[in-house]
Parts: sequence; C-alpha cells; structure tokens
Amino acid sequence: MSDSESQFKVWESIPLGDDLGSLDYVLTDKMVSDYRRVVDNSQAAYPTVAARHPANLFYRKYASVMRVPNMGHDSEYFNPPITGKRITITGRIADKYIRRGNAYIIVEATAVDEDGRLIERSKLVGCAREVGKEAAHDNIAKKWGA
Amino acid sequence: MMAAQLKVGDRLEPVTREVKTEKMVEFEKCVWDRGRNSHSDINAAKADGISQTIASGQNQMAFLHELLERNFGDAWVYGGKISVRYIHPVYAGDRLTANGLVSEVTEEDGKARVSLHVWCENQDGRKTSAGTAHAGQPSARRSWLETAEAHAK
Repeated sequence: MSDSESQFKVWESIPLGDDLGSLDYVLTDKMVSDYRRVVDNSQAAYPTVAARHPANLFYRKYASVMRVPNMGHDSEYFNPPITGKRITITGRIADKYIRRGNAYIIVEATAVDEDGRLIERSKLVGCAREVGKEAAHDNIAKKWGA
Repeated sequence: MMAAQLKVGDRLEPVTREVKTEKMVEFEKCVWDRGRNSHSDINAAKADGISQTIASGQNQMAFLHELLERNFGDAWVYGGKISVRYIHPVYAGDRLTANGLVSEVTEEDGKARVSLHVWCENQDGRKTSAGTAHAGQPSARRSWLETAEAHAK
C-alpha cells in the first residue's frame, strides 16, 4: 500500500452503504420557537435544518475515529414537520470518494414522522478527518487563513 | 390568490441577515444540543485548527431556506430541492445575503419546475456558499403556518 493510500486508512474502513441506524425525537413547540428566533425568521418551516440529521447519525457511530466537517449539503423536502409529532431519522453512508487529495464521505439521512409522512432527505458532504491525526478544519485554515 | 410566475433571468427578492455570536451559539443548541464545537466555542475552534469560531454551513442553509420559503411558499416546502457547497467561512459580524436567480423553467409530469442558482454572499460581496435549487412555480399559500395555528388551538 502506498503512503497516499494508507493516509486514508480509517476512511477506507468505513463501508459504503453502512447502516447508521436510527434516532428519533419529538419536535416540540420550544424547538420550533428557538429555531425561528435564532435564524430571525418567525415563519421558518423546517426547524429540522438545525438538527443536522446526517451528522448526528454519523457521529453517534464514528465520533471516536472520524470528523466530517460540512463542505456542502443536498436536501429534498417533502412535507414540513408538525409540532408534537415524533420524527424518526435513518441514515447510511451513501458515497465515498477522493478528490484533489481529500477524502470525502456522503452521509444520507431520511426523516419520517410518526404518521409515516416523509419529511425530508438530506445528504451531508463531509471532508473526512481522522481523529487525532489532523484538525477538523485544517483545510479551511490552509485555504482561507481562518 | 395566485403568486407571480417566474421566468428565466428573474431574481428572487433577497434575504439579508446579520450573523451574531449569540445566535451562532444558540443555533448549535436548537432541536438537538450539539455541545461545544467550532461553531460555538473558541477553544473548540482552535482545537479544530482555526483561529475563531465559524458559523455552521447549516446556518447559511437556514438563510437560503428563508429565501426560498418567502419566494415559493408551499411550492418550496412540498417538493423543494437544494444542493449547496460552502466555499468561504462565515464569521460573527458578517452580514449575509441569500440570493436566487432563475436559470431554467421546465415541465415535469405536466407541472412547471423552476431551477435556480442560489448563493449567499457576505458584506464584501464574496460568495460564502453556492449551489442550485428546484421547486414548482411559486404558491401564495403558506400551509405550514396554517398547520401550526391549527395545532396551537
């Protein structure tokens, strides 16, 4: 194995299609009002944006070995969530690739409420950073001097 | 009441928001408390290799959502799609403007589908995120607010 391959050892160990399990929560009035307050939008429809479903599922399983700072996000919205309903999210590793020397992981999460209403499907584009090997935002610091 | 229909070249009415430290910190606690991280805590930011806290990408996504909810109503919340890449860090004190420009109007299953370039830019005119969004032609209805009112009763 070459040096360039071995530097992504942990990334390589995370299987494509890996099931990240599920999480659930009840969307409360407080969650909605808190979200609307912090984004200065009293009519915001999707407080689930702040929940970052893919990241939460990923870190529950891999936080000890991998960070995935958010380089981008793809989302599709089907029905706005309803306060008081339990939302269940399920996730998987949807894709993995190496681009310009950086390893990426695409984490997909699907949210459904207790009545079976599909709420949203989101994909996190994460820059794979091995815990203890490199700082999570090294790439940002190098590129923009942050 | 019917909302105005969009055509190629139309600009959405933009949304401008100031990014504040206290709001960045609170954003990390909304819905799920994510604890201290590089978006809410200076020490966590330094441990992650950056000199100051940066707003999370999803915080920018919230501003883009407002842009699309305001301009599309139900056509956004039922069937909207967005794909965005974060291309420059956002700091407390930045003033972000979310923008949308109609790039294409097509027909899918007999219904119009509007495609847009979307982006956020800071007070210096620098893009901090950019991507695409898709939705049906704008609707005047905001049914998610009706739903919230119905549930409050």
